[in-house]
Amino acid sequence: MLWKLFPLIVSALAAVAGDVHARTPYESTYSPRHSEDVLLRGATVLTGTGERLESADVRLAVGRIAEVGVSLADNGARVVDASGLWLTPGIIDVHSHLGAYPSPSVPSTSDGNEMTSPNSARVWVEHSVWPQDPQFPLALAGGVTTLQILPGSANLFGGRGVTLKNVPSRTVQGMKFPGAKPSLKMACGENPKRVYGAKNQTPATRMGNIAGFREAWGKARHALDERTQAAQTPPEDDKPMKAPAPDLGLDTLIGVLEGEILIHNHCYRADEMAWMIDVGKEYGFQISAFHHAVESYKIADLLAEEGICSAMWADWWGFKLESFDGISENVALVDKAGACAIVHSDSAMGIQRLNQEAAKAMAAAQRQGLYFDEAHAIAWITLNAAKALGLDDRIGSIEVGKAADVVLWNGNPFSVYSRVEQVYIDGYRYFDLNDPGRRPVTDFELRQTVSGGGR
Amino acid sequence: MICSSLRSAFLLNLTIATSLTAAFPGSAHGADYAIVGGTVHTLISDQPLEQAVVLVSDGWISAIGADLAVPSGYEIVAAAGKVVTPGLIDSYSQLTISEIGGEASTVDSQVVAYASGPAFDVRYALNPEATALAVNRRDGVTRAVVAPRPGNDPLAGWGVTIRLADVEPLVSTDVALFGALGANAAMFTGGSRSALIQRLRRGLQQARGYSTNRYQPGPGDYSHQDLAALQRFLKADVPLVLEAHRAVEIREAVKLAEDFDLQLVVLGGTEAWKESAQLAAAGVPVVVNVLANLPTSFERLGARLDNAALLHEAGVQVLFTGGETQNVRWLRQAAGNAVAYGMPWSAALRAATASPGSVWSFPEGTGTLAKGAPADLVIWNGDPLELSNWPERVMIDGEWQSLESRQTRLFERYQDLSDENLYYQ
Repeated sequence: MLWKLFPLIVSALAAVAGDVHARTPYESTYSPRHSEDVLLRGATVLTGTGERLESADVRLAVGRIAEVGVSLADNGARVVDASGLWLTPGIIDVHSHLGAYPSPSVPSTSDGNEMTSPNSARVWVEHSVWPQDPQFPLALAGGVTTLQILPGSANLFGGRGVTLKNVPSRTVQGMKFPGAKPSLKMACGENPKRVYGAKNQTPATRMGNIAGFREAWGKARHALDERTQAAQTPPEDDKPMKAPAPDLGLDTLIGVLEGEILIHNHCYRADEMAWMIDVGKEYGFQISAFHHAVESYKIADLLAEEGICSAMWADWWGFKLESFDGISENVALVDKAGACAIVHSDSAMGIQRLNQEAAKAMAAAQRQGLYFDEAHAIAWITLNAAKALGLDDRIGSIEVGKAADVVLWNGNPFSVYSRVEQVYIDGYRYFDLNDPGRRPVTDFELRQTVSGGGR
Repeated sequence: MICSSLRSAFLLNLTIATSLTAAFPGSAHGADYAIVGGTVHTLISDQPLEQAVVLVSDGWISAIGADLAVPSGYEIVAAAGKVVTPGLIDSYSQLTISEIGGEASTVDSQVVAYASGPAFDVRYALNPEATALAVNRRDGVTRAVVAPRPGNDPLAGWGVTIRLADVEPLVSTDVALFGALGANAAMFTGGSRSALIQRLRRGLQQARGYSTNRYQPGPGDYSHQDLAALQRFLKADVPLVLEAHRAVEIREAVKLAEDFDLQLVVLGGTEAWKESAQLAAAGVPVVVNVLANLPTSFERLGARLDNAALLHEAGVQVLFTGGETQNVRWLRQAAGNAVAYGMPWSAALRAATASPGSVWSFPEGTGTLAKGAPADLVIWNGDPLELSNWPERVMIDGEWQSLESRQTRLFERYQDLSDENLYYQ
């Protein structure tokens, strides 16, 4: 834990080494499976960068996208006839609770909300994730290759989130996306004030919410300043440097202030998002994405200006008052304003069909005369999602050099009738509709009547 | 009154003294329309009529065919290149009795504060101004079953049928008695599924011979009010709708229906595919939420996306629900996914139109486009099950419906943020 004593020195070293995640405890043990090179030939390719390529070839080699073009040589790769099929980047869900709220959903598996203190920044959701959750292979069958697991929204600070690769693994460490920054889940609005207000504790109001945020961030800023000052003061020979008292929650908040942890903020209402932007300015952090941002369309200009993504449902609304103003054109209006638009699931059912959610958002836009085509809309569930996770240099699009996370569909992925045929993660074929040997089955499902992705 | 018609509604079993069925067609303005040139799915046949003419007169479909002359006085609606279907019908919702799920003051779909069972009836709280009506009508849903949710008894009470019109949504009361089996409902009977079945059987048995003077409720027995309601149910010819997911629960529900000579509808039916032969033989329809393929509980371990396809193949009548009151519009996404997982297209459309039209208390012909059916129809810009398409016009009982909703008003208000008139529109 040397890094806690000398944060600046260590982060400087880490920056030099280009290996920021090495300082994170509980690090990933994932390594890509050995995979044969594959040439996917003749598919309609949605690159994720706005392009649509007809009858294109994509070659995957050593876990990466090696070539994109027409009439490519196979270079020894296994050739897959993908004519008539569609190829997209792997689907990315920035808001999932898989593993923390698994199926079956019973009290003994309910591990997503540490509802014991409004500031639960000390908890890490990865410590709740059950890798045998049957929902993981179902999401895989829907083309999901990367997902961010977040703690629930009962607390102002729900704890750390984690980005996972959707691969079968005995351990969560074996799913952790190497090098992905952790996140901090914050929640505005109804949930924290309801949960704690009902216990006659703070926060009981929206003003209590904001006060709770400011107090915690103020302490974190103060602690960071103290640590910085201590690191800059040369130690005196007779007085060894005093280490700050361990504080898991503070570590996470300080990690945010140092830019090592990304903020993902559950926030429905436009006015509350605007307050959260100001809280960020007061204490010096940037919000990566507002989640469940059903009112982003009301402040799309502000979100564009601030460079904050909105993670949205296609059409959820009205299940509670703060979602009452949800509209089907939300995604389109945010995108049209030049802000980063993401379609997320927050649902173990929705995550299986994010392509359909994007299709609904696209159709709602077209119905109102706002034209978005598939080539553009696919970014809502791929590249834009990667941006919010800080991983857009590695995943989210079909570009040479990026990870070979791709999905082969048996038709236009924006059609309700299309299904996923194959899913590749780092070049390895983890799912194949036509090959029962390529559909992961969790322990829980063994000898149950139905099992495996595609159930 | 499993297949009641409006015209015969007044001849219904009069022992249901309070049964109420509203009459719409004919009471409307009586404008006549000819919808001309569309691909028309009548649901009478699996084959669509191409370039067909649908004549609507006085709220009813007066004629339909490929070579119909348009009589004078009919307003012509061009539908060439369009697809015409009956309006979609959701088979399980809380529309008009639950506005915002998380806001208790807007929810009237269940009773939890005191013991309430089969005597509960949702009919007195229907809110015709519920915002979800217009939102879902905009996506082609024209009718729905409105059901109570279990409060603190396995039997939740009586439901109604509605139309998603801005005025007079109520179609029929006393359409079915709703209840639930399974672990959640068993919590109301001490925690055991067996106790739950026993309670239902004992209640039905007592209701058979119920009379006010003789009945002395013991501990755990139904109240006088509830037993009278159960007796009313036994005398009425309407279905008992039981939510059941585990195969054995579905089997018990079928047995119960046989023993008491009840018309059963299974709601949910996650593992109904395992009992498909028995359900088909007993003529028990199943309301399927197609997208619910998760093993979310120990009674749903057999969840699968092709449940609807398997049931249909076995000859079971399948009904769809969008699965959520605010979004019964997900009906067509459900139907589309059922097709993706093996259900024939026409069968999937039927599960959201003609089948619910015949199983629930709606005017005869509801859910079809046939002479004499109420004129509920949708003109789509393409395949209605495809997410990329949408309704261009929606008609209920012969009247074109507004496709504006609170949501479209919000869109219009915020599509231009620079507009200085933002809050004056």
